[in-house]
Amino acid sequence: MGITCEEVWRDISDYVDDELDPKQRTALEEHFAECRHCAAVLEGTCNVIRLYRDERALALPKGFHDRLHKRLDQKFTLGPKERIHTSRRAVLAWALTAAAAVPLGFALFSAKRIILPRLGHESPSGPPDSPPITGLVAVSQDSDDKVFHVPSCPYLHGKPKFLPAAEAVREGYAPCPICIGKHKPEKKG
Amino acid sequence: MPVCATTNCEGNDTRNDQIRANEELLISRILEGEKDLFLELIRPYQRTVYATLISMLGTKEDAEDVTQDVLLKALARLHQFRRESAFGTWLIQIAINEARMRRRKLRRGIMFSLTSGPDDDETYVPKDFADWREIPSEALERSEIREALGKALTLLEEHYRLAFILRDVNGMSITETANVLGITRGAVKTRLRRARLMLRDILSPGLQQGGHVDLTFKEVRKPWE
Repeated sequence: MGITCEEVWRDISDYVDDELDPKQRTALEEHFAECRHCAAVLEGTCNVIRLYRDERALALPKGFHDRLHKRLDQKFTLGPKERIHTSRRAVLAWALTAAAAVPLGFALFSAKRIILPRLGHESPSGPPDSPPITGLVAVSQDSDDKVFHVPSCPYLHGKPKFLPAAEAVREGYAPCPICIGKHKPEKKG
Repeated sequence: MPVCATTNCEGNDTRNDQIRANEELLISRILEGEKDLFLELIRPYQRTVYATLISMLGTKEDAEDVTQDVLLKALARLHQFRRESAFGTWLIQIAINEARMRRRKLRRGIMFSLTSGPDDDETYVPKDFADWREIPSEALERSEIREALGKALTLLEEHYRLAFILRDVNGMSITETANVLGITRGAVKTRLRRARLMLRDILSPGLQQGGHVDLTFKEVRKPWE
């Protein structure tokens, strides 16, 4: 035998790949012809490669192709141009939504200012966080509306008369529905 | 000629040239709008991409998910393919990059590097010297054999595993494998030698006995001792 078993193991992989020069190759082949064990190592190595090379080893999972086709179909039907158009449509939709939201928001804000004070007037308890009026309120001397206001209320017309809130209530004045949302006479007792 | 009928040699190549010419034609047509041809282009590589990814990611679910991402990404980037390498090589490079990103995202294998891992240059001593007749291909019909092949791969260190997958499963040449891994041809050969002999030692006792594979290394008395 020209070469040892260890030399064979070192070169056996290159032998399989045909990466040896002719002289080395011949030496290995002569060794294989005489050494049953190294011949078994060679055969086993080729078996390993053959098994892993087979399509059934490390095969794709079942349903792989269906799932891939589905994703590709989505991509094909939604090509780059369509994606750009879709993107533009989306931007336009968002812009319109935003444009509609501005007046809607303004309308809601206005409604809150108008409606909530009235609700507060009708409610016996009133808004829980309304600060009570402890000072003077104003009533109009030129009007018979029997409404009292905070002194700065824009709905106070004519010449104002200032009196304590409790006294205004005793005299039959009702609170102004506009400024009542913010201020309410302090209840005593 | 290679000893094993399934291995490819360097420069084996009229057929490879034909395949490459056909792929270039397909790529041109796809880029001109015939996108349905993409399936034809990728058909030979779906399994090789999957095999590469399962060897790197470890689970079938992750491997399938990333395989599909890779194929879709290849379609999106096809215009960037410069044709300096084979299409299959380009695809595998995308797959390896995607696997690295996925592992980073999963916080697994943060230290992963394709070129890391010491190449043990000592001669590997086979542990099993029993005769091993050719395993009939029908054996692969059995799920336990396929499972055993998959599990045996996981016992190898990654740098051996990946060299084996690219060369022996995906059929790349040694030069292509070296280019993809960014290592020398010599390093590829070293890794291949060790991977092949280790896999043989892991698998041969079971396969000799009809498929019950015990996935442990066994110390077998050497015939000359």
